Amino acid sequence: MSLNRDRADTAFTFKGGMLPMTVMELASGDPERIRAQLAGKVSQAPAFFQHTPVVLSVEQIDEPHLALERICAVCRAHKLLPVAVRGGSDPVKQSAWALGLGWFPPQEIRPRAVEMRPAESRLVEASVEAEAELPVPEAAAHAGGRIHRGTVRSGQQISASEGDLVVIGAVNPGAEVLAAGSVHVYGPLRGRALAGIHGDREAGIFCHDLNAELLSVAGTYKRLEDIDPKMLGCSVQVRLKEDQLRISALT
Amino acid sequence: MAKIIVVTSGKGGVGKTTSAAAIATGLALRGNKTVVIDFDVGLRNLDLIMGCERRVVYDLVNVIQGEAGLKQAMIRDKRSENLHILPASQTRDKDALTLEGVEKVLMDLSEEFDYIICDSPAGIERGAQLALYFADEAVVVTNPEVSSVRDSDRILGLLSSKSRRAEQGREPIKEHLLVTRYNPNRVDDGDMLNLDDIREILAIDLVGLIPESEAVLRASNQGVPVIHDDKSDAGQAYADTVSRLMGEDVPLRFQSVQKRGLIARMFGGGGRR
Repeated sequence: MSLNRDRADTAFTFKGGMLPMTVMELASGDPERIRAQLAGKVSQAPAFFQHTPVVLSVEQIDEPHLALERICAVCRAHKLLPVAVRGGSDPVKQSAWALGLGWFPPQEIRPRAVEMRPAESRLVEASVEAEAELPVPEAAAHAGGRIHRGTVRSGQQISASEGDLVVIGAVNPGAEVLAAGSVHVYGPLRGRALAGIHGDREAGIFCHDLNAELLSVAGTYKRLEDIDPKMLGCSVQVRLKEDQLRISALT
Repeated sequence: MAKIIVVTSGKGGVGKTTSAAAIATGLALRGNKTVVIDFDVGLRNLDLIMGCERRVVYDLVNVIQGEAGLKQAMIRDKRSENLHILPASQTRDKDALTLEGVEKVLMDLSEEFDYIICDSPAGIERGAQLALYFADEAVVVTNPEVSSVRDSDRILGLLSSKSRRAEQGREPIKEHLLVTRYNPNRVDDGDMLNLDDIREILAIDLVGLIPESEAVLRASNQGVPVIHDDKSDAGQAYADTVSRLMGEDVPLRFQSVQKRGLIARMFGGGGRR
């Protein structure tokens, strides 16, 4: 048997992939309440509800049994396609499988308070979120981003799982800053910066004094040695254009 | 209440134990009741640097496990009656230390002493984390080379997140930078990082600059903390460091190349001035 099989022989290949996915974090298991809220959201952001795949997260619901079938029906009625369930008790897992949905273990609980976003604001994009009535935690910017003040040191990782990350200070070698949106560093960038970690190709990286170990926008990256030496030490912006990272000076 | 100062670095071999011994001795010579604790369980070195290796009976692990009292384990320094040494165990490993045990030892010592100096092991694992956990201040020892600076940066991250002060949301640990093995000639040649580069990356206050000196190795091998060698450049630089730790404002020395006279060059003199 040859390791290099002819392509025509294989009907498929398995590949790992990271796809952007909306998580619908349920605070209530009551299908009627979900229906009422969804109806309001559809009128605010109709573009979002176009057979959008969603993962139903039931980690916040402390009930052993859920009307999962009815919740799914409500979602489908509003053009959301539940593809999997995250968290919940064993019976919830069993009924997810029975409904042909995948099941993910609960997300690791991270101690960073800023990442613990209110249930609702994960649901829809910035347009809707901006007027969310829930209190935004301190140090989080309006669009669900995050502001970090002070030096990010080697071994530290600062991330904004939604929106932009703003660092007021230096990002040192061996440190990592990540954001679903753009990364802004008001100081020297000497570590790794990753913008658009959920696939946002419009995101960018902005910094004073570029000396980054790695720059990445939506998975396209440049290492320090790939960066034009003329740009090192400059104030720059990094954008994704035609599948290439473009670094240009901020004047 | 004693002030607890951890001497730490992340990287090994940069001069933590030498600095802990010199700083503890310097504080004691200024009349402060001081104890220096070796946290490097399994790789005990402080007793050698302090020249008390022949007088070790009990150690920190014995005290934590209740096999000996603090008074039995502490060794009084031969040269300064204000100074005590609490050695580490050579036969155990870092798992023998418990958070509660370390806390009790530090609380008991706190009542009697003005300063408690914790000599941290290298690394960022349990031993190093226990050494820094209860600290009020930290002396981060850094050599003028990139790997040392990066490891110091990592330790500074731990100081601001994994200490008791951080966990309780109290005023953060006061961080001091101590640059050791600094050789102005090699800085000028571009072989070593210069002081400004180190300070720019680590962004903390400089408490001392210790020049690379033959006096340090000589002192280690003789078991006499280098600060006793007050003719040597390194000894004087540590004395300045101790003054700054005690809050005095002392000008920085040994940063630029020293012009040595003909006599000094002929007779060598191991960095003595």
